[in-house]
Amino acid sequence: MGAALKGFAKFKVPGGKLVEVKLKYNESIESIQILGDFFLYPEDALNDIEKSLLDLNIGESEDKIAKLVDELAKRKSITMIGITPSAIAKAIKMAVGK
Amino acid sequence: MKWRVMKLEVHDAYLNMSIDQAIMESVEAGKSAPTIRFYKWMPSAVSIGRFQSMQEEVDIEKCKELGVSYIRRATGGGAVYHSNSGEITYSVIAPVSIISKDIRESYRIICGWVIDGLSKLGINADFAPINDIVVDGKKISGNAQTRSKEIILQHGTILYNLDIKTMFAVLRVSEEKISDKLIKSAEDRVTCVKNYADISLEGLYERLLEGFTAGKEFEINSCTEGEMKRANALAKSVYSSDSWNFDR
Repeated sequence: MGAALKGFAKFKVPGGKLVEVKLKYNESIESIQILGDFFLYPEDALNDIEKSLLDLNIGESEDKIAKLVDELAKRKSITMIGITPSAIAKAIKMAVGK
Repeated sequence: MKWRVMKLEVHDAYLNMSIDQAIMESVEAGKSAPTIRFYKWMPSAVSIGRFQSMQEEVDIEKCKELGVSYIRRATGGGAVYHSNSGEITYSVIAPVSIISKDIRESYRIICGWVIDGLSKLGINADFAPINDIVVDGKKISGNAQTRSKEIILQHGTILYNLDIKTMFAVLRVSEEKISDKLIKSAEDRVTCVKNYADISLEGLYERLLEGFTAGKEFEINSCTEGEMKRANALAKSVYSSDSWNFDR
């Protein structure tokens, strides 16, 4: 396994806010930060979302990643405003260039 | 339901954000009445949203050079330049049950109080979801909310006058972005009370006070001793710390 690659993506969610993803990865995600001017309640839950994405294979489909985030959001009663599970998934795929 | 209304105060960035949190905790514990407070920032400051990166959003060196503080808010949303003489900030801290469980609706309700205040100056402002207030399509107020299960804390800024040059100097934008062309572009997107009403900052505060308190039973009061003690502790341990401000 070589040194981790760095990925970055940023885009404005249509009708929403800016979402930005910074990550390190090889075949899977080794570290990830989700940033932006969105709202997410409770705020600490963003850490849970980030943790749930660690070790995710970067080949996973955008739909699968969105579903994973959506399920976590439902399980932990997370409310997102200006950002969506799909937007997070899209930013991740953009950041790894796929 | 009797509200506590706190007159326009001036604090530094750390204490301003800490007072909001201390009041939120106190209202949640049933020790304080729902609260509306108004405040300014001395020194001027940049606040960034909970999920933003300080390094990406703020030119730290420029802030140090100009004596501008920088702080991460507990609320989401974007980076804001709080000029000491150019804006008024408000906070509303209240049980969810008396505002709205629905987050978008609660923004609309509280932003409505800002709009009512501006209307008393003859300014016709509109709520622009998710969290902005606009006049003639230009932003005059940005608002942000955090909430626990039971309590809402919404704070927001009402622009009194614009110092776009300083705003662009402290918010991280490249040199070319502070060219005249782009400053003009910002002026096309942002406006302020001074562009519409010949009124002092104090006068704006009085009208906002009317807008926020209309139809409410309230008393003018200040923070309790307990709230101030907690706020001072939070300012020291959290809001002025690098671990909080540079968390992302």
